Amino acid sequence: MTQANTMAPAAIRPGPDRFVVGLALAGLVVLGGLVWLETAPFLLALFAIGAVLGVALYHGAFGFTAGWRNLVTKKRGAGMRAQLLLFALAALIMIPILGSGRDDVIGAVAPVGTSLVVGSFLFGIGMQLGGGCGSGTLFTVGAGNLRMMVTLLFFIVGAVLGSIHLPWWLDLPAVDPISLIDWVGVPGAIAVQWLGLGAVTLWVNRIERRAHGDLERTELRLRPIEGSMAKALFTGRWPFLWAIIVLAVGNALTLVIGGSPWGITFAFNLWGAKALQGLGVDMGQFEFWNWAYPAQALADSVLVNIPSVMNFGLLLGAMLAAGMARRFNEASRQTPRGRPFLAAVVGGLLLGYGARLGFGCNIGALFSGLASASVHAWVWFACAFAGSLIGVRLRPWFRLPN
Amino acid sequence: MTAAYQRHRIVGILLAILVLILVDHLNSPTFAFNMGDGRAQSALVQRDASACAPCGAPCPSTRD
Repeated sequence: MTQANTMAPAAIRPGPDRFVVGLALAGLVVLGGLVWLETAPFLLALFAIGAVLGVALYHGAFGFTAGWRNLVTKKRGAGMRAQLLLFALAALIMIPILGSGRDDVIGAVAPVGTSLVVGSFLFGIGMQLGGGCGSGTLFTVGAGNLRMMVTLLFFIVGAVLGSIHLPWWLDLPAVDPISLIDWVGVPGAIAVQWLGLGAVTLWVNRIERRAHGDLERTELRLRPIEGSMAKALFTGRWPFLWAIIVLAVGNALTLVIGGSPWGITFAFNLWGAKALQGLGVDMGQFEFWNWAYPAQALADSVLVNIPSVMNFGLLLGAMLAAGMARRFNEASRQTPRGRPFLAAVVGGLLLGYGARLGFGCNIGALFSGLASASVHAWVWFACAFAGSLIGVRLRPWFRLPN
Repeated sequence: MTAAYQRHRIVGILLAILVLILVDHLNSPTFAFNMGDGRAQSALVQRDASACAPCGAPCPSTRD
């Protein structure tokens, strides 16, 4: 490497943003200390896992939404293949744990029916308008993105509205959860998931080859595009493969430590319901908030609710990563106005409402669902992708670039 | 290069979130239990094994 080359990156990126990094570290210490003092060690471990997942999502630029959009608009499938690789690895790790007969772990399984189809379809539209999915919204908010804060706010509003309507949707035609582990055993479930994911990969490859004649294999890159591995580890950008490994192992650890796989959007429900309760609304009048888990969560501290604790960690982890990359709030130099602002509002509402009806987001329903060998995850995938196609077509009207 | 944010705003937002978390926690059964109230029931492990979805929704087959 020439001296000029060595100097160039240093001139562009003069090192971490000490203020943001310091603030993120202080937040991790303060909140982590509170969790440690007031709750239990397993929740502190989940808080730390959340922070690492936030770093991985930010430094890996692991956006589900952009990956889907790139396949549709640019006919490039590297982001999509990275997601499929993530699902395959997580299934390989988590299905044996769930099929081991342990009674302290529960998979992310959910009913298959009208609610799931409608919810995931709406979520798919919301992904493209809101500019992110469950994890994407959260890590970009952690990185200081102002427009995504609007999306998150309305994500929460939509999720609460969805929780109030969910019992009505559940009364429409549906069947109980279908677990492939129960149907075909652990090896069979892994084989079915891998065959399904392989088939989707072939479809993605076909689209890319038809458009470009070749495949961009960036999802298999082990070394960073620029700079040393040590530098990329702290300041990004990570190769997809690093993020895939961290996310898959993180979800498996969440399952073993917390008893159920990684989920994000239930916390949004909870935060919104607590806010309404604080304003004097009796949430007990709504059926959803009388079911055992939501009622327990609503009655107690957010610091003992696993999705909330992990989300706090994720937000701070993403903030830390953005500070290390010196890119905190970089996407918000222009305040969102007009139609892009409206897209964040509409997208957020669709994301929240869709996530509640669809039993989760791209993490809780798709990633964790596929890793739990639940059939509902495949239905969610198909319907959300169909919704995403509509969302991509709507983006130009909202003056969002494709 | 000018900063993309104002420091006092970031600190203010984080402090506001911390205050909200603290207010919620100080009014919770877990905090009451930690303070020695034996009657307070902390939901440290929030799980419903009979639920049919991660959000706690019941199974369609059990709906009337």
